[in-house]
Parts: sequence; structure tokens; C-alpha cells
Amino acid sequence: MTIDADTIRHLSEVSVSVELETEDMTLNIGPQHPSTHGVLRLVARVDGERCFDVRPVIGYMHRGYEKLSEVRTYPQITTIVNRIDWVSGYANEVPFIVAAEKLMDVEVPERARYIRLILTEMARIASHLVFNASYPLELGAATPLFFALRERERVLDLLEGVTGGRFHPNFNRIGGVKPAYAAGSNTRKLPQDLPAGFLQETRDAMDKVSIAVDQLEDLVAGNEIIRARTKGVGILPPEVAVAYGVSGPNLRASGVPFDLRKTEDYLPYDRFDFEVVTAENGDCWDRWYVRLLEVRESIKIIQQAIDTIPSGDLQAKVPKIIKVPKGETYVRAENPKGEMGYYLVSDGGTGPYRLKIRSASFSNISILPWVLEGILVPDIIAVMGSLDFVLGDVDR
Amino acid sequence: MTSSPSETETRETEAQEPDAQVHPLQGFADQVAEAVGGTQEIQFDTVKVRVAPESWVDAHLVARDELDLVFFSWLSAIDWTNEVEAGDPLTDEVEERIELLSALSNVTDGRLVILSTDLSSEAPRIASLVEVYAGANWHERESHEMFGIDFDGHPNLIHLYLPESFLGNPLRKSYPLLSREVKPWPGKVDVEAMPEQNGSDQPSTENPES
Repeated sequence: MTIDADTIRHLSEVSVSVELETEDMTLNIGPQHPSTHGVLRLVARVDGERCFDVRPVIGYMHRGYEKLSEVRTYPQITTIVNRIDWVSGYANEVPFIVAAEKLMDVEVPERARYIRLILTEMARIASHLVFNASYPLELGAATPLFFALRERERVLDLLEGVTGGRFHPNFNRIGGVKPAYAAGSNTRKLPQDLPAGFLQETRDAMDKVSIAVDQLEDLVAGNEIIRARTKGVGILPPEVAVAYGVSGPNLRASGVPFDLRKTEDYLPYDRFDFEVVTAENGDCWDRWYVRLLEVRESIKIIQQAIDTIPSGDLQAKVPKIIKVPKGETYVRAENPKGEMGYYLVSDGGTGPYRLKIRSASFSNISILPWVLEGILVPDIIAVMGSLDFVLGDVDR
Repeated sequence: MTSSPSETETRETEAQEPDAQVHPLQGFADQVAEAVGGTQEIQFDTVKVRVAPESWVDAHLVARDELDLVFFSWLSAIDWTNEVEAGDPLTDEVEERIELLSALSNVTDGRLVILSTDLSSEAPRIASLVEVYAGANWHERESHEMFGIDFDGHPNLIHLYLPESFLGNPLRKSYPLLSREVKPWPGKVDVEAMPEQNGSDQPSTENPES
């Protein structure tokens, strides 16, 4: 007896369409799980290999920074906001300091603004390199980690050299910046400027990071397994992303060319030539690729800033005891993770009356229930990793 | 900002008139205020539009559909009160209320508006925005937990950070900072005597909250 092709096709269709009796099961992921970048717990209902009704449980890192800010002085709060997103601690300080300066009407010296900009971009490179290290690792590729973390260490060494801290620089003061080696001095005779050779070393380091980014791209972009795991997975349509307040590279990967460096004036980004990197599909692959390309744009910005940095003071004249006049303002900035903003309400005292901290990761992971609906269980890790969140930035 | 809405507005206008310059965002503020039926003010480059609690949801619908403010940035509240347990009290007497704020932006030129409405301090209650902006879900849960605001129509109004058994609303000004109650810490005092000078063997930089 011969079986023709049509019969085979018919039989195979019958065999896959048989309804199997399945039972839902609850899958608990975390809170201690290496792919959650901190302590995030997910409770998912799983039907076979697909998961439904995913509920993120957060709060394990809640440190009550908004309440603590109400009993701290303005200079003390920079230490707190450093610890919100510890992967790019420096970038957290800037919008807060700019908000306080706005209320105080302080004119910050140009050189200090340029230094803030250079260090913010270095923090962005460090943060994106951590992503480029950890994301392939979560998908099973260990090698890119060594390339990315080696270069991140180069950037962090420079950050440490000028600020004194790798993770928590606490480098901004109201009215400017304060280099570390002059900070604790009693003599006041040390020169208050960047360490000698810092700009040249940064320029050299950027060349090396640039080479490493090319290597990373070669290493990861051509990898069949990574392509298969990320292309078309976890697609985020732009209209859904904006309704959830998803910002930063995650939003740009969905094709929305929205970058606060182009629209806000917290730092002098308008003087530099750089592109807003976007992608079209909004899948995990695009979110990875946008971050890789953004490292190149940050390198471009740093190189231009080093070329044009003006000389001058690093600190404006401000009173010894900082009192911020009455008023309210919202200052937001393009953090490596997305929109980071501070709604500052001052009553004229030495500390804020209320400080609302808008952090990027909070909104970025609030979309998890939407984007994980109906997804395959192994893809949970691929999607979560691609959103690049830090739990300290979620819980505050 | 410690006075009633109308007074603040006049004060702002007075403060800006001497240099006779119209703020670049004035046109945008007027446009939003007219569309949502509220009153606008610009403080330090931040546009705030006050609306009545009844038109809270409608104002957001108009902002999203007609003004193209599709990006939901955040939602939170301020507890305006004269009696505070943590932090400094206000210098001027205020009308006790909970001010609910939401920040909306477009994704083209980055214009942002803060919509604001006043709720009663005793039993703050307002309609939920989840149907308008899906992202309001977690922010409303946060405000419910931290300020005790009830959002009608919210699908899942449970605690976000703290256990369900946790009592009190930590970001209310009436809620004390417990670590301060247990052990006072200088906090706001920058300059302290060194341990040997005040005769204490305790390190003066110790922070009991860490």
C-alpha cells in the first residue's frame, strides 16, 4: 500500500490538532534569580510551554528614598539618588542637581556642565556594556561578557579616577562638580580641576571601547542561536509602549525616535552631533542592537566634548548652607535606562518638602504582564533581559 | 507653593511681568488649559494645569486624543498639611489636601504637562486612569499604598511594595520616620563635634538607618 503526499499531510495535521487535556500550573520565578538583575519575583500561570497572567512582585528593594529625602538636606540627597540605578549611578545625580539649581537660579560654569555631560555619557557606556555582557550570558553565550566587562572596567577606572567612586560617584554639587582629590582637603590649596591627563586618557579609552564594540557586534550579531532566540520575540508596539511610559532604548527600539537629550536642556547636548538610534520591530533583538549602537553615539559625544571643553571654574558661588527657594519643578533626563526625572517641591528650607522620583525601570517593567502574555517559558528570560532593568531603579 | 491655587497663579504672573517676557511654553500651557478646562501655571519651566476632580479622567482623554500627549510619564501625589511628623513643617499655613499629579508628554518635541487635582485629605477618592493610560496601573497602586488614595475602577488595587498587612500610608506627612523615633540622628546638622571633643565614645557619623 502506498500513501501519497496528501494523505501524509492530512495525517500529520490530524495528529497535531488533537486536543490534549492540560492542567494549568503556577510557576514562580525569583526573587533570587540571576536573570532578574536584583530581586524581582514573577508569578506566572503556565499552560504547557506558554505562560499567561504574569504578575511581577516588586518591593524587595524598596528603601523609601522619597520619604528619606524629606528628612535630608539637598547635598545629602545626591548620596541617596546615586543608589537608585547603581549601574549608572552618576547619571542619576544630574537631573536632581539640575532641578535644585533651577529653583535656586544658579548659573553653572560651562566647564562643569561639560564634565557632567562627559561623565553621564561614560555612565551610559558602562551601563550599556553591562547589558551587552549580561544579555548574551542569559541567552547562553558567555564570551561577550569578557569583552564587554573588560571595556566597562576601563570606563569605570576613569570615572573612579575623577570622582573617587566606581558605582556611587557622588560627584555633583549644587552649582557644579567637585573633583575627588580636592574634596577632603583642609588646605584648600590643591587645584580644583580634573586630574591631569584625564581628558587624554578618556580619549584613548574611547578608541579602545570603540574597537571592542565592533568586536562585540561581530561576536553576537552573527550568532545563529542569539538571532533565533531574540528575533520576533517580545514585540513591543510603539502605542502600547508609550501608554505604559516605557522610555529610553526600549522605546526607541520600537521605532519612536524620542530622546530627551534632544528635547531637554539639562546638559548642553544641543552642541554635539549625534544620532538618535532607532529600530523598527521592537523585538528583543532590536532592543539589544539599539543599545550596542548607542554606545557608539556616546563615544562620538564624548570625543566632541573633549575637543570643545572650555576652561574655567568647576563650581559656581553658592551659600555654604544650601537653602532652596520655594517652588516646584520637574526635571527629567535621558538616563541609560530611560526617562529619569525628579519632581521637586521646595518650601524654602534646607531639604525638599516632597521629592517624587520618576525612574525609568519602574515604568519599563510595568509592561511585563502585557509583553509576557502568551509567551513561551524559555522566552521569559529573553524578554526580561532585553528590557534592561535594575531593581534598585524599580523600587527606589 | 503653599497658598491656594488662585493666589499662586497671581503671584506667578506678578513675578514674571517685570521682565515683560512671555515664557516660551505659555502658548502650550494655554492650549492645554483650554482643551482640558483647567487653569494653567508655569513654574520654573514646568507647565502645570489644575483640573477639577470630576473631570480628571476626561482631561486625560482629551490630553491623549486631542493634544497628542500619549506618553504617560508618572502619577503621584503631594500631602499638603500643616502638621508634619517627618521633615520640616511648612512656613506658611496651607489648605490641607492631597494634590494628585500626573505627568504626560508627547514623544515628538518632548513637551510635558503636569495635570493636577485636589482631593480631600481624610478620604481621597478619584476615578482610575487605567482605561486611558495602561501604565497608570502601577502608579495608582503606589499612590494608593503611599498616600491612601482610592482609585475607583482600578482592576487590582493592592499594595505594590509593602506586604498587604502593612498599616499606614508611609508618604503621608503624618507618618513618622520610625528610625528617627527610635534613635535621633543629627541628619540635617552638617557640622558635628568630633567624638573626643564631646566626650562620647560613639562615632558621630553613625547612621542607624543604614
